[in-house]
Amino acid sequence: MPSSTSSFLAETAAVFAKDWRCELRTRAGLNAVGLFAVSTLCVVGLGLGPLGVASSERQAVLPALLWLILLFAASAGLPRAFAHEEETHTATALRLAANPAAVFCGKLLHAGTLLLGIELLVVPLFIAMVQLPVVSPATLVAALAAGGYGLAAGSTLVAAIVSQARGKGTLFAVLAFPILIPLLLLAVELSRAAVAGAPAEGVLQQILLYDGTVTVAGLMLFPAVWNP
Amino acid sequence: MPPSLEFEGVRRDFGRLQVLRGVSARVASGQLLTVLGANGSGKSTLLRCLAGLLRPRAGRIDYREDGPPLDAEDRRRQVGYVAPDLALYDELTASANRRFFARLRGVGSERGGELLELLEVPPQRPFGLLSSGMRQRVRFAWALLHRPALLLLDEPFQNLDRPGVERVRELLVAHLSTGLAVLASPTPLDLPLPEHALVHLELSR
Repeated sequence: MPSSTSSFLAETAAVFAKDWRCELRTRAGLNAVGLFAVSTLCVVGLGLGPLGVASSERQAVLPALLWLILLFAASAGLPRAFAHEEETHTATALRLAANPAAVFCGKLLHAGTLLLGIELLVVPLFIAMVQLPVVSPATLVAALAAGGYGLAAGSTLVAAIVSQARGKGTLFAVLAFPILIPLLLLAVELSRAAVAGAPAEGVLQQILLYDGTVTVAGLMLFPAVWNP
Repeated sequence: MPPSLEFEGVRRDFGRLQVLRGVSARVASGQLLTVLGANGSGKSTLLRCLAGLLRPRAGRIDYREDGPPLDAEDRRRQVGYVAPDLALYDELTASANRRFFARLRGVGSERGGELLELLEVPPQRPFGLLSSGMRQRVRFAWALLHRPALLLLDEPFQNLDRPGVERVRELLVAHLSTGLAVLASPTPLDLPLPEHALVHLELSR
């Protein structure tokens, strides 16, 4: 068992490192994500400005806008995780060489770190541009970590499912909607609590439950989707 | 126990298109099964079924190495497979592709280095910038990386120049000293193998 565990971890790390190496060589995904992130951030930030939203509504509106920006930026990069492997015919080599669960985990780690990068780029700029006061920074960090992971996990799961289908872009949107909306609502709620300094342990627990459920569902479903 | 492959009544269709209609053969260690047939006769489909990349609609595939028959998932991880539509990562060099798949296979990367050297592949050139013949050589190095007992070769000499064909033939003969192979080709091939080491299967459309 320990050798199979270490083999699984080594395969996961190999897929993760390979995805980043390919990404850094072409920068196609990174450029698309960066462009979406910065352009939506500019539209929201410059459109609203520090006084664009009435102070009574800031706590309700701004966290929702922040998650919309993160969702748009993630949508530019995350759906490509598996479709690119199918389109370039590298999926066959990967199927023949790797454990399906390790492929899923490697792709999930790649998506998670990509989303972390988006958050590190977008969130400080957003807070500065709209002058959003955050009463509880620790809660905001928890919302971004748990919500970001959930967004990466949900997107990876849907990307895996649609990679075998025609009309991948449309299908991704149709499938991602019911899977990601509950998470986004919870993440917005937790971010609002961070801005207001309100207690929100229950919401955080629900997001963590969502994260765990989507991860387990992905690990269980992926071999059936990936294998012929 | 030496490795062996036996398949019986393998059938596969794609919707209304019946491609394989009950194909059977048996190959023992040290033997090469040559699958001949015109374009569209199902050679590649048969190899994909044997590799575990396609599920046959009916029939039995019994491949064993030193124990019970391997299921499709285990076959997928064990076999060496070369096919025209098999691609490695265009963005990575031949050497980086070799290191990546060596990590996945759990084998030392020096084996891949030896194979690339033997096949005279420029290791630092991205796979996407290699000529079609060089890509075919890299596919061979990739397929032999984990020392598979069963090699599945779909038109293996495609795009290879004369030295490339010679290298691949040498590797194939060396492989058959301990393993077995299935080779699909639309035309008969001249292979330096004794008659008892060859098994033939002809597919028709």
